[in-house]
Amino acid sequence: MLLNVIEDEEKWLAEGIASVQQNALFMHRALDANNLRDALKYSAQMLSELRTSKLSPHKYYELYMRAFDEMRKLEMFFKDESRHGVSVVDLYELVHHAGNILPRLYLLCTVGSVYMKTKEAPPKDVLKDLVEMCKGVQHPVRGLFLRSYLVQVSRDKLPDIGAEYERDRDESSVMDAIEFVLQNFVEMNKLWVRLHHQGPGQDRDKREKERSELRDLVGKNLHILGQLDGVDLEMYRENVLPRVLEQVVNCKDEPAQYYLMDCIIQVFPDEYHLQSLETLLAACPHLQPSVDVKTVLSQLMDRLSNYASTCPDVIPEFLQVEAFAKLSSAISKVIEAQVDMPIVGAITLYVSLLTFTLRVHPDRLDYVDQILGACVKKLAGKPRLEDKRATKQIVLLLSAPLEKYNDIVTALTLSNYPRVMDHLDNETIKVMAMVIIQTIMKNSTCISTADKVEVLFELIKGLIKDLDVTTADELDKEDFEEEQNSVARLINMLYNDDPEEMLQIIYTVRKHVMNGGPTRLPFTVPPLVFSALTLIRRLQAQDGDVVGEEVPTTPKAIFQLLNQTIETLAVVPSPELALRLFLQCAEAANDCELEPVAYEFFTQAYVLYEEEIADSKAQVTAIHLITGTLQRMQVFGVENRDTLTHKATGYSAKLLKKPDQCRAVYACSHLFWVDDQDGVKDGERVLLCLKRALRIANAAQQMANAARGSSGPVTLFVEILNKYLYFFEKGNPQITSNMIQDLVELITEEMQSDSVTADPASDAFFASTLRYIRFQKQKGGSMGEKFDSISV
Amino acid sequence: MPSRRRTLLKVIILGDSGVGKTSLMNQYVNKKFSNQYKATIGADFLTKEVQFEDRLFTLQIWDTAGQERFQSLGVAFYRGADCCVLVYDVNSMKSFDNLNNWREEFLIQASPSDPENFPFVVLGNKIDVDGGNSRVVSEKKARAWCASKGNIPYFETSAKEGINVEEAFQVIAKDALKSGEEEEIYLPDTIDVGSSSQPRSSGCEC
Repeated sequence: MLLNVIEDEEKWLAEGIASVQQNALFMHRALDANNLRDALKYSAQMLSELRTSKLSPHKYYELYMRAFDEMRKLEMFFKDESRHGVSVVDLYELVHHAGNILPRLYLLCTVGSVYMKTKEAPPKDVLKDLVEMCKGVQHPVRGLFLRSYLVQVSRDKLPDIGAEYERDRDESSVMDAIEFVLQNFVEMNKLWVRLHHQGPGQDRDKREKERSELRDLVGKNLHILGQLDGVDLEMYRENVLPRVLEQVVNCKDEPAQYYLMDCIIQVFPDEYHLQSLETLLAACPHLQPSVDVKTVLSQLMDRLSNYASTCPDVIPEFLQVEAFAKLSSAISKVIEAQVDMPIVGAITLYVSLLTFTLRVHPDRLDYVDQILGACVKKLAGKPRLEDKRATKQIVLLLSAPLEKYNDIVTALTLSNYPRVMDHLDNETIKVMAMVIIQTIMKNSTCISTADKVEVLFELIKGLIKDLDVTTADELDKEDFEEEQNSVARLINMLYNDDPEEMLQIIYTVRKHVMNGGPTRLPFTVPPLVFSALTLIRRLQAQDGDVVGEEVPTTPKAIFQLLNQTIETLAVVPSPELALRLFLQCAEAANDCELEPVAYEFFTQAYVLYEEEIADSKAQVTAIHLITGTLQRMQVFGVENRDTLTHKATGYSAKLLKKPDQCRAVYACSHLFWVDDQDGVKDGERVLLCLKRALRIANAAQQMANAARGSSGPVTLFVEILNKYLYFFEKGNPQITSNMIQDLVELITEEMQSDSVTADPASDAFFASTLRYIRFQKQKGGSMGEKFDSISV
Repeated sequence: MPSRRRTLLKVIILGDSGVGKTSLMNQYVNKKFSNQYKATIGADFLTKEVQFEDRLFTLQIWDTAGQERFQSLGVAFYRGADCCVLVYDVNSMKSFDNLNNWREEFLIQASPSDPENFPFVVLGNKIDVDGGNSRVVSEKKARAWCASKGNIPYFETSAKEGINVEEAFQVIAKDALKSGEEEEIYLPDTIDVGSSSQPRSSGCEC
């Protein structure tokens, strides 16, 4: 059915075009023969084709353009009086005889334009005459095209400033031109709006589509006005704009209002808009409630902010006309007037205003805060936003200042910023929190006071704690980890040179992250601990400057805080992490020479080892960490050290797997021999450890033999040999060259026995160890002497 | 038959929004320039009389809306064009990249009888802006594109300063004239007019 309509339309158009061409051909012949009578006759017949009602505006336009092009030839003929011998005045009378009104009016417009060009009549009279006579066609489509023809053919004959048709160079003739276009505009708009009310209701969609196609014919008048030099700022502000707006408001038609507002904004220059903002904005609340005012205003603000950014010297003018205040109040009025406007509409308006402000007045934070405040007011008393589009707009609203200032610190000074966030749903709060953190990271912004940290953590609370119970499980693990890693990174961006303030920052962060619950603490506690340890080391470094016992910022106080903080991790449970952190703290306490504190941290670590770390792999890692840390501790007195080393060796010997046991035990040997000036040097106990390791290695071999029929590789023995060599070189009197010789032989033997699985790696390891011994022997000097008795 | 010879030449100016189509036309026809951006709605034309080889022609220059939303009725006015002027802003890469679209769109919509040889002229406008410092499309690049499209004549213009505008339109007029005369040859001398010379009555009686 629709297809038929389209086919029919094509057919009608083709017929129309054929007829236009045919009549045009006759017209050409008449023109060639300078036959005015025939020229008029055939042109009228050609123009009669435009009387059709069967074509959609698009098709009608095609037909119109055919006739239009032909009429230019007729116009040139009219101009050349020598060819037809009739004065233009008589010609103007003559064409009145055309039978039908539509062709008659097209001909009149054409002659009229020639008439004006010859300057034989005041343009004013001709224009007035024509614009009045066109009222004779009240069919919307035909009327619109006729009037658009009128305005096009008279366009370059309009009396304008500097134009050759401006007769007396006085303002009145410019006014004539403006009057003419305005009147034509009003008439065209009426025709256009009327189309809406014509015909049966079921064709409404089709009619609206047709109306939409026709809109540029109406808008063209505004374009012509915009091109007239006579329309200067004053003329525009005092005369043209109020009259155009009057028509726009009074037509009470939604598509017309939307389109024409858009046209006004686009066809007149920026400067005019800036200087007539009040008038233009005053019209907005009077538009139909369904008009998309937010797009209209956004376009206006876009234009103005482009204007400000391309010509920065006009910014004082923006201030002078109080552009911000006017736009802001217009937006409130529109929101107030359009009670049914969805919340997303209101927020979109604020986003545009904010974008405008950030571009035009980047220094006016108060403006930014005002906009956020207005937004809060609009959101107040409403339930949390569920509308996805609305929350998206809020994210835009909140992200814009961050992007502009590249600096969260600025945003933190905006009092309404967190209040806007309060209205977001949990998911969006998180999105926003990530945006905030990413901004900080991107710009490496340092947040330097506890107050700001407090505000910041309030803003990103969506990442810091569970906002409600239900969401906790839904989150994708990867997303969650990314979020929490971001928070961890953020904690490292909080810094102040002043230790007191830094401590306050740490307290603030601690207060917030402690609410994070078991899943978040493992991410957030480590950066907090390291941040505090950094502070401790800083205090330690400037030790001399600290005066008085009263200073609250002492390493001791911070260690206490850390102890409590890490304890929470143990409960989470995340014992392995807690153990590492305790050891880190112990080492820091060592550097501060706080023996009891260090001892306490070790105790904590041991308790965790004994009570919480059950997994054997985790135990191996833990025991090596413990041994490694303990080895570096210098703060302990003999008694404390003995207790701790004794425990550590005990743990080592009790590991599950023999090879693990062996390695842990020989590592313990280092606890008794610290290679610096005042370090412990207990050669006997070193030897004990190594012997014990050897025994365990033996046992491991035997067990392997029993269980699998072949013993494991000799790697463990080679490792122990290396330990022997180390202590031998360091001058441990208990380690003799004989012992090394024996061990080398033992390994060689083992390797030759059939029961041992050949392993290239351990063979190579042993070979290079032997090479090392040879190298030391050949070195000469005291070391060479020492190695002399070993033969390999 | 002297009137068989064309005296009216139709030129269409196309290009992205804000490249200066209206300004070029105003500079050429009225010797006027305004720095302020004003959108064009629909299609608009100005005419200018030009003298060429002792003959007087009327150049009908169609300025068009660069913004699509102001082209609601379509582009029926392309039909019968004798030359198409493609304008871009030398300070905007996008406007240059779009030249191809404008050219193709024109050839499809105007459907000239000999699309291969239809005359185009390319103008790189706004060379005055910022003393040329904000320029992003090099003359070399533009000329290469023009060469690849069948040696389209190319001009670097400033509607503001009036640089090269007159020269460009001279070429535009010359090319339009040439194409117009070639077109003439294909016009049939006679048409069968016997079938229906009576005006068909359709629509109302107004």
